[in-house]
Amino acid sequence: MTKITLTNVSVEIPVFDISSSSVRQMLLKKAVGGRIGSSGSHAIIDALQNVTLELNDGDRVGLIGRNGSGKTTLLRVMSKVYPPTQGEIEITGQISAMFNTTLGMSMDASGLENIRNCGMLWGLTSDQTENSIEEISEFSELGEYLAMPVRTYSAGMKMRLAFAIATALNPEILLLDEVIGVGDPSFFQKAFARIKGLIDTSRILVIASHSQPIIRQICNKAVWLQDGSLIEFGEVDHVLAAYQDKQAAV
Amino acid sequence: MAEHQAQQVAPIDRSILVDGFDDLTGGILAWPIWMRLGWNDIRQRYRRSVLGPFWITLSTAIFISFLGLIYSRLFGIDVATYLPYLAIGYIIWIFISSTTTECCSAFHENQNIILQRKLPFSIYIFKNLWRNNIVLAHNIILVVAIYLIFKINPGARVLLALPGFFVLCLNQLWLGIVLAILNTRFRDVVQIVTSIVQITLFATPILWPISRIGNARLIADINPVYHFIQLIRAPLLGELPEALSWIVALSTVTLGILCAIWLLNRTSKRIVYWL
Repeated sequence: MTKITLTNVSVEIPVFDISSSSVRQMLLKKAVGGRIGSSGSHAIIDALQNVTLELNDGDRVGLIGRNGSGKTTLLRVMSKVYPPTQGEIEITGQISAMFNTTLGMSMDASGLENIRNCGMLWGLTSDQTENSIEEISEFSELGEYLAMPVRTYSAGMKMRLAFAIATALNPEILLLDEVIGVGDPSFFQKAFARIKGLIDTSRILVIASHSQPIIRQICNKAVWLQDGSLIEFGEVDHVLAAYQDKQAAV
Repeated sequence: MAEHQAQQVAPIDRSILVDGFDDLTGGILAWPIWMRLGWNDIRQRYRRSVLGPFWITLSTAIFISFLGLIYSRLFGIDVATYLPYLAIGYIIWIFISSTTTECCSAFHENQNIILQRKLPFSIYIFKNLWRNNIVLAHNIILVVAIYLIFKINPGARVLLALPGFFVLCLNQLWLGIVLAILNTRFRDVVQIVTSIVQITLFATPILWPISRIGNARLIADINPVYHFIQLIRAPLLGELPEALSWIVALSTVTLGILCAIWLLNRTSKRIVYWL
């Protein structure tokens, strides 16, 4: 049984290198993203404010919102990387996350070495990792390239490898941050199919994306974030409609 | 949403309230991770180089040879006595100075992982220590070479160097944790540390022996680095370290680990936001 519960979660991110007040003034006027406050010598970005959310088995949730609205921050809170400044979280289930197309891979190491390193970092046993190599090789269509250093790969190849690793062995909670964009259309379909195959009634998927078609295809629920606050959470069509109305009104 | 409000507030997820002690034990238990990543660091550093980590061994050998020959003349000591003393002390020093300086940036260099997956912070310090252990293992060859060249047989006392080395590693562990945390918050800590490390090389009996300098005893005795080095160097030279060295080393390590745990308790929830 998987579950993600956030209760009144707020995240404040300090920014220390703002020394001149003129820079601070300029930032206060900026159009994108979270609120900025100030505390003595440094600026604070209120990346998330009072977010309360509960996700259960079978939820496939799309995160939508403008750049800087808090999607990445929310994903990081869910992956336990960002401890909330306030509020509480409770997460049950084994987490696999892919927040950038390189997944923390080492560029000079070969694809194979990276699979083993990542497998270990993500909590797989070495047996599990070895068993998944063939499947990763086939899914990513990298084949012999796996013996070459990752820095020789194209951006798309890196993403395919990272995605294959992140989804290997059916994680209970899968968190994706706007990463599917880089692949070519045929990989897109494969990735879709993979995600759909992964998500059965006992798992949670959270995916941040600017693409509403992607969210409509994959997700059954959606979360709309704006300036760090949760505006809407509910059925995907309902939330997307509300979001589109707001966009049209602007 | 109404049903949601009717539910109770969820209990706190213990696993994200990593306190310092949990972080340390978690780090120890994760040894497969940091051993593999440490090896990876070494392979990456020396990829496409001909000698690999033996480059360090070679440059250390050159340094020790020249300094040994010149300084033994300056101090008026027999080369056969001075050179082994210098070599062993200097190789241990390389371990101390590398771990101390590199640990400052331990969290920065692993930013990619830290921002994707929650793992104990001490893992990155363990990785650093393991990496430097590997380099040390390459340099130990020089000590063996020196034993052979100068026909030294330190006897069974050599084994005492192992607990001494273990205590040194414990010291670098707490120090690494403290410096990594401080340097992540205040970026110039590494500059200060580099300066102190440089001064320590000259202020500690490594390049110079105690016997040759008049009032050196006090300078050496108040310097904890001297004691940590002695715990390893003395047995390797067939001697026994003084009890004072054990006292200073063990108390430094005990206080240091408590300090590191305390600091982790206070800052572990903030560290990721300082990266």
